Amino acid sequence: MVMAITLHVILFATAVAGPYLLKANPGENWGGSDIGGDAINASLVSNIPLPAQQGTNVLATESKGLTVSQPKPEEKTPEAVALPDKNARVKASKSTTATRLKPPTEKIPEVAPNAIPYGQGGPVSGPYGSFSTSNAKGGFGFNNGGDFGSRFAWYVDQVRRKVSDNWMKYEIDPSLSNARRVYIDFDINRNGEPQNIRVGQSSGVPSLDQSAVRALQRIDTFGPLPPQYPGNKVSVEFWFDYRR
Amino acid sequence: MEDEVNHRTKWFVLSLALALILVGSACQKKVAPPPPPPPPPPPQPTATISVSPESILKGQSATLTWSSQNANDINIDGIGKVDAQGSQSVTPGASATYHLVAKGPGGSADATARLTVTVPPPPPPPPPPAQVNDDDLFAQNVKDVFFDYDKYDIRADGQGAIQANASFMQAHPNVKITIEGHCDERGSTEYNLALGDNRANAAKSALVSAGVSADRIKTISYGKEKPVCTESTETCWQQNRRAHFVYGQR
Amino acid sequence: MMKRLPLSIALLFLTLTSLPLAAQDWIKTGTGLGVEKIRIAAPDFRGSVEAQTIQYDKTFNDVLWSDLEQAGIFDMVSKSFYPLGQFAQPADIKPEAWSVEPPNASMVAFGNIALDAGNVSVQGWLYDVKNPQNAQVLAKQYRETASADNVRVIAHRFANEIIFRLGGGVNGITDTHIYFVRHAAGAKEIWKMDYDGYGQKAITKFGSISLSPRVTPDGSRIAFASMYGGGWNILMYSTDLNRSLTFPKFGGTNLSPAWSSDGMHLAFSSSRAGFPNIYVSDQNGNGLRQLTNGKGPDVSPVWNPKTNAQIAFVSGRTGLPQIYVMDADGTNPQRLTDDGYAVSPSWSPNGQFLTFAWIRHYGPGAPGAQDIYIMDVASRQWVQLTHDSGRNDFPSWSPDGRHVVYQSNKNGSDQIWTMLADGNQQHPLTTSGVNSQPNWGAK
Repeated sequence: MVMAITLHVILFATAVAGPYLLKANPGENWGGSDIGGDAINASLVSNIPLPAQQGTNVLATESKGLTVSQPKPEEKTPEAVALPDKNARVKASKSTTATRLKPPTEKIPEVAPNAIPYGQGGPVSGPYGSFSTSNAKGGFGFNNGGDFGSRFAWYVDQVRRKVSDNWMKYEIDPSLSNARRVYIDFDINRNGEPQNIRVGQSSGVPSLDQSAVRALQRIDTFGPLPPQYPGNKVSVEFWFDYRR
Repeated sequence: MEDEVNHRTKWFVLSLALALILVGSACQKKVAPPPPPPPPPPPQPTATISVSPESILKGQSATLTWSSQNANDINIDGIGKVDAQGSQSVTPGASATYHLVAKGPGGSADATARLTVTVPPPPPPPPPPAQVNDDDLFAQNVKDVFFDYDKYDIRADGQGAIQANASFMQAHPNVKITIEGHCDERGSTEYNLALGDNRANAAKSALVSAGVSADRIKTISYGKEKPVCTESTETCWQQNRRAHFVYGQR
Repeated sequence: MMKRLPLSIALLFLTLTSLPLAAQDWIKTGTGLGVEKIRIAAPDFRGSVEAQTIQYDKTFNDVLWSDLEQAGIFDMVSKSFYPLGQFAQPADIKPEAWSVEPPNASMVAFGNIALDAGNVSVQGWLYDVKNPQNAQVLAKQYRETASADNVRVIAHRFANEIIFRLGGGVNGITDTHIYFVRHAAGAKEIWKMDYDGYGQKAITKFGSISLSPRVTPDGSRIAFASMYGGGWNILMYSTDLNRSLTFPKFGGTNLSPAWSSDGMHLAFSSSRAGFPNIYVSDQNGNGLRQLTNGKGPDVSPVWNPKTNAQIAFVSGRTGLPQIYVMDADGTNPQRLTDDGYAVSPSWSPNGQFLTFAWIRHYGPGAPGAQDIYIMDVASRQWVQLTHDSGRNDFPSWSPDGRHVVYQSNKNGSDQIWTMLADGNQQHPLTTSGVNSQPNWGAK
């Protein structure tokens, strides 16, 4: 009970302070006090800087979320709403609605108002290949969902560890405030060398994309592919979220 | 009768004469009447000479011993007339051959003996005036130069030592030296060897500036490899931070 | 709603605590040590019932365990947590017994060792017990003439296979050697030992002072600085032929040789022109080129082994010695350390880091311990690896980039120590005699 009251108070405070803070960052154009009013749906759509790549199922999820009526202070949740849109890839995404509905309380204890909310969704690549470090969370998919991950879990582990280790957060713009999930595609050849490193879907922040690409470029080898694997290479899809 | 005796005597004398002639002529063939034998020839002289020891160092003596027989005139070259036998001490300045000639009525004989004289190495040529041939002199007059921590420039007290050392070097123009560069025990092996090199060279340069020819000075660094003391105190450290002057060049 | 709260607070906690971790992370990742270690179990290899094998069992198991423990990428599961039984064949391994607490192992290395007809045979497997359907990662077999040394060799080989497979294709150090200086009877000689301190033996017996051994990348020759023969010269020794090789005498004081990673060039310090400067020659001492000038003293060069396009070195040109880096033609010298007394740089195999000895606060009267540091060359960020009151010097990178061997007097006399490149697992390799200036060879 006490907790509920405390959180409501914080909510109110955020509601009051929010617009002021948002105004101070001209770079952001979350749906905010500029728009106001009840036409949340329309204004939100027009103000979220969605890149052209966004597919229709993104809008579908968004509209799903917006059917839930929320009290006015929780208008700030569009930020939470927006995130899965940005993070979801054109490929069929798994349902993230449940996580999207996380209450604003999850966001409110954050220290910085411009901190990137933590993405919970994204393509699940099985029990192999997901990771979280102190300020990143990510995952891998191998060979478009083939059985590489289950057959050579130890190799997948190795890939995960190395990429996670080599990601230098200091390369990311320190004032980073607004970013979607980044997807990187690459191949691993017989020798274990990452090749054809490319950004599958940009986060919208060049320094974040580049830090991910550089993480892979820094890796000379993951170790030779397992001898029992017959192929010449393995295709990997790698996503991660950054949180400063 | 008288006729018969004379006749017989005549025949005797004639026979005798004939015999004698015959015999005489026969003797001449077989046994010449020995010529009047010369007086027995005088015996041939003999001579021997030896020297002992056969090899000496210059300045030492050896004993010459000789003997001869059947000679009345015995001469040894270089000595002169000597008795038929005897011995004599000789002190030649160089290797010598002693030739003895013994003459006598019977002829002459000679003998030789060789004495080898080894000359010890000549003493060093008398040095030009003021040449050092004493390490102590060097040690008394040539001083080490000391340095501050991590430095190789010559301090004020070092300048004094350099000047004194330069004076000594000029007064003893044949002296050659080696300057060793040393460091204290703090600090790292490799860096200290390089720093010691700088110290030795700095001292050498200072000496050269003071007029000593560079080819008289070799340098070497010992870094902290050869300390004179090992306590971890500033006193000991200062003693080790030095350019050390050594007589000679190895 | 209530359920979310602990998560949110956890996230908050993560946000706040992320910053201090970042400083150490770049060391772990850059050196390939990794933030996350693999939990591996290594039950004892057993022989058949014959008593003969027992003498080798212990050697094998000790060496295998020690190799895995020192690799830097494993978290060894204590043997006291293992399930009971003998684990000589794959059929003996029940993954569900290993992958849960108490062992909670990810990997199990097991097998058997046997003697037959004067040979020792070892069969070894590596199993991923978290993925029982596809558990086998490695299956290996070894056979050598039976001897304690060969058993060590087999254990080293098997450990290296495991480290290579699970460590991202980086060859381990289990069959590498360390060259160092042994002080004895007023002389200093060049010695050699296995990476774990075993088998220490003399290479030179000159009765002189020989320092700064550096082995070629192919392990065939050792260059070092020595007074043997008069003055300070770079000498060359052939490990293949077990004798000295001729090498030019350059004049002046010649010190601290360093090989380029292709073995084609040698950098060193020489005062042949009057002051200690950095020079480069080809591997035979020809083509001499002077890279630095001035009074120095410049000493202790080391090549960037990844590119051979840069050389780091020590210079006292501004006073106390500092670490500099320049292009391999001598241009563009840059100072890396800002203060204190910094010496003895060594460059990591991936070209990213320098390790060196540093007294950060130096001055007359200041206590200043000399410790081993690592610096990221690009960003100049550094981390202190040892925190001792004594003197640590001459760090040298391992070929796998995960370890640093160095010299320390923290136990009273100069000895050779080793540690992971993040400062963990420090322990001595030598304990008797006085030993210094280690150089980690790739062979």
